[in-house]
Formats: sequence, C-alpha cells, structure tokens
Amino acid sequence: MNDTLNPPLAWVNGSDAPELSSIDAGFMALTDSASLVVAATQGFAQPYGLNINLHRQPSWASLRDKLVNGELHAAHSLYGLVYAAQLGIGAQAKDMAVLMGLNQNGQSINLSAALKSAGVITPEALDRRTHQSGPKLTFAQTLPTGNHALWLYYWLASQGVHPLQDVDSVVVPPPQMVEHLEAGRIDGFCVGEPWGARAVSQKLGFTLATSQAIWPNHPEKVLGCSLEFVQQYPNTARALVMAVLEASRFIEQTQENRRSTAQMLSGRDYVNTPVEDIEARLLGEYSDGLGNHWQDHHAVSFHRQGEVNMPYLSDGMWFMTQFRRWGLLREDPDYLGIARQVQQLDLYRQAAEALNICVPSSPLRSSQLIDGKVWDGNDPAGYAHSFKLHALAGATPVTGQ
Amino acid sequence: MLRILLINDTPKKVGRLKAALSEAGFEVIDESGLIIDLPERVQAVRPDVILIDTESPGRDVMEQVVLVTRDLPRPIVMFTDEHDPGVMRQAIKSGVSAYIVEGIHAQRLQPILDVAMARFESDQDLRAQLHARDQQLAERKRIETAKGLLMKMKHCNEEEAYTLMRRQAMSRQQKLIQVAEQIIAMNELLG
Repeated sequence: MNDTLNPPLAWVNGSDAPELSSIDAGFMALTDSASLVVAATQGFAQPYGLNINLHRQPSWASLRDKLVNGELHAAHSLYGLVYAAQLGIGAQAKDMAVLMGLNQNGQSINLSAALKSAGVITPEALDRRTHQSGPKLTFAQTLPTGNHALWLYYWLASQGVHPLQDVDSVVVPPPQMVEHLEAGRIDGFCVGEPWGARAVSQKLGFTLATSQAIWPNHPEKVLGCSLEFVQQYPNTARALVMAVLEASRFIEQTQENRRSTAQMLSGRDYVNTPVEDIEARLLGEYSDGLGNHWQDHHAVSFHRQGEVNMPYLSDGMWFMTQFRRWGLLREDPDYLGIARQVQQLDLYRQAAEALNICVPSSPLRSSQLIDGKVWDGNDPAGYAHSFKLHALAGATPVTGQ
Repeated sequence: MLRILLINDTPKKVGRLKAALSEAGFEVIDESGLIIDLPERVQAVRPDVILIDTESPGRDVMEQVVLVTRDLPRPIVMFTDEHDPGVMRQAIKSGVSAYIVEGIHAQRLQPILDVAMARFESDQDLRAQLHARDQQLAERKRIETAKGLLMKMKHCNEEEAYTLMRRQAMSRQQKLIQVAEQIIAMNELLG
C-alpha cells in the first residue's frame, strides 16, 4: 500500500531494534488517552528497548504544533488534526502519519443546565430554539478541524440545524469545557470523556447525544506522528505500535483492568479528575443528567480484538469528506491517495501480526450513520457532495466515479 | 562572547595562549597551575570551554579531566607539546574534545573551538543515550526480579504476575517500576 523508502542505513546493523531508546509522546487529558498512558507507565514498551516519555498538552493546537515541529515524536491525536496538518488547513502543511487507531466512540454533545431549565432537552426542541429569532446559541468544540467540530456539525445537520449558520462555534480545550459551561460562556459543547460526564455529575449540564449515536464504532483518536518520523525510525514506530496494542489489549482483558485504568487516568499527571467521572462511561454506564441511565453497547473501546486499532483507509478518508462538506477544503483532494500515504497499514500489519492480533482483510469498512447515509469509502467525492446541509465552496454536486 | 577557563601548567609559557585568546576576542578567566581543584573551578566560573595548556599532560591532569567530564561536562581543548600518540589517546579517552600539538595562532583558535564544541555536543548526545539505555535495562531487570518474587509468593504464572503488578500500579497511579521496587523491598524486609 505504502511505498515509503527504507531508510538509507537500515540494513547496516541488520536489526529490528528501535533506532531510538526513548521517545517523547504527547497526550490530552481525556479518557481515550488510556492506551498510550498505560503503555508508557506499565512497562509495555521496555521489552522492545523503548521508553515512552509522556507530555500532557494544554490544547490540541499546541499538541499539533509540537507534533509538526518535531518536539513530540508521536501523540494521542484527533483524526481531524492529523488530516488537517497533512492538508495544511489551519497550519502549515506537513506530511503526517497515522500509526494506528487508539479508540472508537466515547465523545458526547452536552448542553447547559440553563437550556435544560428552558426545556431544550430534545433534538426537536433544540431545532426550534436555534431557528427562533434572538441571540444564537454558542457551542464549543476542541479544534476547528478536529473530530469534535465534525461530530457536532454532523449531528446538528442531521437534526436540521445548519452548524455554520444557525449557531456560533468557539474552540475550548477539553479540560476547560466544564468551567466555560459553568461560567455561562457557552451553551453546549462536544468533547471527549470524561468532560461530558463531569458536566453531568456537577449538575452543570446534560448529555444530549453521544458520538456513538452519530456513528456506532466511529473512528476517534489515533496514534499520530509525522511521516518523516516513520521513515527515519521505522523500528521505533513499530515498537511503539506494538507496545500500545498490547496495552489496549490489556485494558480490555477484564473488567478489573478497566477499573484500574480509570484509577490511573484520574491521577494528577493524567486526566486529573475524580475517578467516578471517568470510570462509569469507561465501563459503558451512562447517565445523561435528565434521569436516563443505560448500558451503552458502543461505549469507548480501545481494542476489540484489534478492530479498533486498524487504520482503515475509509476512516481516514471520511474526515477529508467532512472538511470538503464544510468548506475547509475548497476542492476535492485525492482522497484515496492521501489516505494511502497517511494510514500506515503495512507497519500496522507487521506489528499486529507479531502479536497475533487479527488484521481485517479489507482496508475499507462500511457503516451507517445517524442520518441513514452509508459510508464505505468507495466514492468519497460523491459522498462529500451528497449532503443536504453543507458549506461546499461553490461547487456543483459531483456524482460517483 | 565565549567564556574560557584557561589552565596553564607551564609557568614559562604563561601568557602565550592568553594573549592569543584576548586578541581573538574571548573572555578569558586565567588560572595558573593544575594544583587547583578543576571541577570546583568549573562550578564557580561556569565556562563555555576549558583550555588546558600543558607541556605534557601527566596523570594528575588526566584525572582532573575525567572528573570534570563526569560531573560538569564541558568541551575541553588541550594544547600541548607532547607528540606521543599514546598520550593523545589517553587524553581523548579522559574526555578531551580536541588535542592540539604545538602552534597557537590567534586566527586558528576559532575553528579549533568550533570543532571542539561540535565534538563535545555529539559526545554528550551519545552519553545521554547510553545512560538512558543503561537505566532502561536496569529497570527491566528490577521488574523481572519483582515478577519472579511475585510468581513464587502467589504461585502464579508470568502473565498473571505482570497483571497483578500492573493493576496494583494503576490503582495507585504509579508506574510499574515503582511497584516492582516495593515488592523487592517488601521481600527484603520479610526475607
């Protein structure tokens, strides 16, 4: 798939040992940083002769900049962040790489307690509220090109609300969402857990929709790095993927391991929030703050026998279709060509096979999203142009190739 | 401006380097003789480079160089009249970044210092990497030891021992190595 050249001196020592003995890895304070945090702290990389030094980042923009300028070798990243950097949207273009998927699901759209009091507790009520005259509602996401902006836009559009016309959007780093909601600076937000659960437990807001309701088993965070890093240090990259894969498998081995993971994440150096706010939704136990409780069958997952970790080409392409849909890309990119360059399928396959983790035979997968549309990666341009609500930059709809 | 700590162990030549250096625009802190405690001087003066001007570097000079390299690494340039390749090897091994036999010309100083500093930086990188590797290996051994102890204590297999240690570490928000150290310490106490 990926015809990156072997680094010039790889054959000299004829070894597959990591070229680097330690790497700097960034993460954000979120439940879905779990597999990277567990890999780094619980000795999963050491057997390969690799140390992972963790660096928590204050915002996605700062994480992206450090990933692009090389200050971080790899990071817990948003799919949208990696592809925006690749395409030069919102930042200087840099060839990027997705080493593996870190998780699926586990994000949510939450509204303020004030909207709850005003009876805006259903999608229909929100639809009415956004089309009334008066000041627009303000929603926060975590990066203009990030997953949360795209989940928010997708969900709003599926309810008939135009995300770029009917509401205002602002960017707030995940750990500050609850604070902004409390201060009344925003009316709602879309973010990764535990920040939705935190708003609910603090009675500052309620969960209106989970991201898995938009797309069951949607792609979410990835292990991202620059393409240069993979090309320069292929053995280091493979060892890193193996360590994180093993950590993902470990987290899901037993319920006890999931609980310990929640404990670990709640620590000051990681997510720094009470364990109760992390544990429940990590175990799939949801309460929405409106009196509903349920066991979610598509809660955050880190491994699922490797299905979560496969860097599907269709997952990478989906984010580009949404950039196109919302005018972040003015023209259709070479969806497949770019996804092939970014998604490190060969490296992932080597790492997974070495650990006896099953690798799906097709690099494309098919899913049905909340609006009934099916995404299977076969006609990205057609898909990008197929939405009723959009902000396509002056293009006529294109039909399938 | 580069701060240079200049060491002369050759009284008759005092001044030959200093003049050349000052002429080339460096800030020179002058120390005569090697009876001084070099690491202590380095600590006090914090030079960018150490220049040693010596007729023939003896054992005491080398010892001082080794100490500085270990505790307060700096680029060290040695000017000497000693041609013996054995002595030169010894000096490089002790941590000297550049070994210059005879001939001190003001115009040659800058390139010599540049080479010495570049050489020093790459040495430091290598040293740091080696140190990290050593530490990693040591940690791995400690974790292995603790795992072995736990297998005996709990009559469990390797994978179960790792899982127990990791769960313990994670529920206390610690790293695996910390729990390994606790198991080893506990074993010493009870053993």
